[in-house]
Amino acid sequence: MSVWIDILLATLSVALAVRCLTAPTLAQCVFLFFAFGLTLALAWARLGAVDVAIAEAAIGAGFLGVLLIDALRDFAPAKEATVEDAEGYAAGGSAAEGSAAGVPLRAGRAALPLLPLAIAAVVFVLLTAEAVLNVRDGGGLTELAQENLARSGVDHPVTAVLLNYRSYDTWLEVGVVLIALLAIFAVGNGGTFARRDHVTHDPVLEPVSRILAPVLFLIGGFLLFLGKYEPGGAFQAAVLWGAMGILLYLAGWPVMTCLPRVWWQVLLTAGFGVFMLLGLAFMSGGGAWFEYPLAHAGNLILLIETLAALSIAAALTAIFAFFHEMHAPDATETPEK
Amino acid sequence: MTDFPTSIWPALLVAVPITFALGTVFFAAAGRMWSGLAGSVATTLVSALAIAAAVREGGLIHHLGGWEPPLGILLRLDPLAAVFIGMTALTGIAVSFYAASYLRSQDDLPRGASLFWPLWLMLWAGLNGMFLSNDLFNLFVAIEVVGISAVGLAVLSGKPPALMAGLRYLLVAITGSMSYLFGVALLFGAYGTLDLTLLSAAVEPGATTVFALVLMTLGLMAKSAFFPLHFWLPPAHGSELPPVSALLSALVVKGSFYILLRLWAEVFGVSLTFAAGQLIGVCGAAAVIWGSWQALNQDRLKLIIAHSSVAQLGYLLMVFPLLILAPGTAVAVASDWTSSAWTAAVYQTLSHAFAKSSLFLAAGVIVIAAGHDCRESLLDLVARRPMTAFAIGLAGISLTGLPPSGGFFAKWMLLKAAIASGQWWWAPAVLAGSFLTAGYVFMILRLAFAPGNSDTENRPVPRGLESAALLLAVASFFIIVPAEAVISFLESSAPFGSAIVPGEGGVLP
Repeated sequence: MSVWIDILLATLSVALAVRCLTAPTLAQCVFLFFAFGLTLALAWARLGAVDVAIAEAAIGAGFLGVLLIDALRDFAPAKEATVEDAEGYAAGGSAAEGSAAGVPLRAGRAALPLLPLAIAAVVFVLLTAEAVLNVRDGGGLTELAQENLARSGVDHPVTAVLLNYRSYDTWLEVGVVLIALLAIFAVGNGGTFARRDHVTHDPVLEPVSRILAPVLFLIGGFLLFLGKYEPGGAFQAAVLWGAMGILLYLAGWPVMTCLPRVWWQVLLTAGFGVFMLLGLAFMSGGGAWFEYPLAHAGNLILLIETLAALSIAAALTAIFAFFHEMHAPDATETPEK
Repeated sequence: MTDFPTSIWPALLVAVPITFALGTVFFAAAGRMWSGLAGSVATTLVSALAIAAAVREGGLIHHLGGWEPPLGILLRLDPLAAVFIGMTALTGIAVSFYAASYLRSQDDLPRGASLFWPLWLMLWAGLNGMFLSNDLFNLFVAIEVVGISAVGLAVLSGKPPALMAGLRYLLVAITGSMSYLFGVALLFGAYGTLDLTLLSAAVEPGATTVFALVLMTLGLMAKSAFFPLHFWLPPAHGSELPPVSALLSALVVKGSFYILLRLWAEVFGVSLTFAAGQLIGVCGAAAVIWGSWQALNQDRLKLIIAHSSVAQLGYLLMVFPLLILAPGTAVAVASDWTSSAWTAAVYQTLSHAFAKSSLFLAAGVIVIAAGHDCRESLLDLVARRPMTAFAIGLAGISLTGLPPSGGFFAKWMLLKAAIASGQWWWAPAVLAGSFLTAGYVFMILRLAFAPGNSDTENRPVPRGLESAALLLAVASFFIIVPAEAVISFLESSAPFGSAIVPGEGGVLP
């Protein structure tokens, strides 16, 4: 029975990926991608990696889906956007011009040498299968991670790996989120924060946000705290809190202006900065970087996770608000520097 | 490897630039410049002290979180890492001062240009982390840090060509990382460790290792712009702000080369064959000829310099076939040329880093002075901008490989290794590359000496810009002076000098 579920999931994810790549309209691409993300999340759950499944569903399908839907508005707002519009847009022409000039459907695609690509894909899949099926069981580090759990300050091996054994990796990954935010500001020609909120309250979203936002906040906090014992943790909580921020922003609450600029800066850097400084503080006491005293390890990890989740959530909200602001048709006021 | 003493220096090499990067976020443009400069000076100081400590002790390690591998991550500052960190620091400090002056004097830049400082310090930390890491997955994270900050820097000029080139660079960088990560997953599944030292002891020949080797090599080659995966580099490096072009061309592509070199010499020896070395060497030779030829045919100075990067990176690939022993060659005999080949790899990396960053900084000066970088902008440069012309001359000579420059030493060692190993067929490629390089360098110099039109613009350029370009050109020339000390320091520890014996791995003669 379970084998059939796995086969179904595997087939479905490949089929959705192919459909997503060949969909004629951008809207279909986006929704197929959304479905693809959810299928992947189910596959992770089937593989027993509930943590990854939550993150995949929340980031891969949820956050990216929202960004993509928001980006859809840029392409031919009045009519159905096609993939060719996007290609014309990317090539520097405006979307409307490209389709008005009667660009033949799939002009860009037809140029691709399909047969060599298909052969290459088949060879790649065969080689991958050969290599993957031949992986002998290296044993991994599961036992070692379990043995040292008592010295890590948490009860869940995944959290122990992420925030104690290999906290340096996790710290740098939190940094990557911050760097990505800075890179996005750089692409957007240097405006940093979207400092202009929606003027009008959205009549549909506002009542929804009154109910959903507290729920998202609570579930996020629950996942964060749960990470100590069960699958869950900072990244998962961050996405829920980020979703809360985006929802409040879209509903018309003054999310980006309720805090002074410097507090946003603190919020965005706190996760990465405090994570590092705590590690350095204990290093100056004679230990190694990121070596926490056992007596306080559990609480320190919870503190670090909370700040990291807050920072990532703030970054996700800021990224969304920034794009939303940049592409808003009535953006007369430029974002503050 | 683990017999080095534990020290906090490796940790500080990553933590210090990041501390300052976070600090710069809180300032407006002017404050960002000062805090960014302070961060550059501090990072350079830490690098100098860390290298001094590494020279004294032979090498340093740091167990992050206090956990031993395979559970934890090991940072190790061995001589090879120390040399690369020194290269980053010297290039970095010169480019930082140039950037401070450049960003302040240019008023047509987008408002986001001051984001240069946090992004560059993050990039610096990522590069240091890459050179220090002894862990496959941590290398991936460092690759991500470097890749994303490099993309952010690449689009800072805000111009459409830079945005398009930046997007293409992002796609290549992500595809390269994914390819690398797939290889890491296969290796971790098969051998249960990510630590390079433990992995090199555990790795066995077989389909999995070969496939991982191919995936990781291709991913890293794409990120280093090695031929034939170089297509993204010229448009990207030709359209960025000058200090960014200098950093990306001099340092970022060297990061993935460093990982490739370490993986081939330390981990993948069992799966490498003589033919694999020849194949990657052919890619290198093709890059040298093709890149130089393309550079010769460009009209814009920045594009000449960018195509020249493709060619100069090709020399680095030609080192690999010389490190892999032909079947039946005794390791003791090979010590004749493996040491030369390693020296060529290190010196080509150093001399290209300094010469190329100098050339990009000089091109930035010319763009400010003349308003563009077409051929006419170079006319009468010797009279108008003697310092910049001198910098271009010195850096060009080093790229060509004329004595007594650092580039000469690198190419000489490469020739010596090729002849000594009996693989004479690399020699014509090295020589042809030098001739073609001389072609475009002398073309630039001929224009620089040619009389200009009286209406050629000559806008004022801040003095510091020219000094930074000249300093790096001088560095590319005079790194030959401490060569003996540098090589004896490098030789004190593997993998420098080791030969790759197919089926066995890296072996020190």
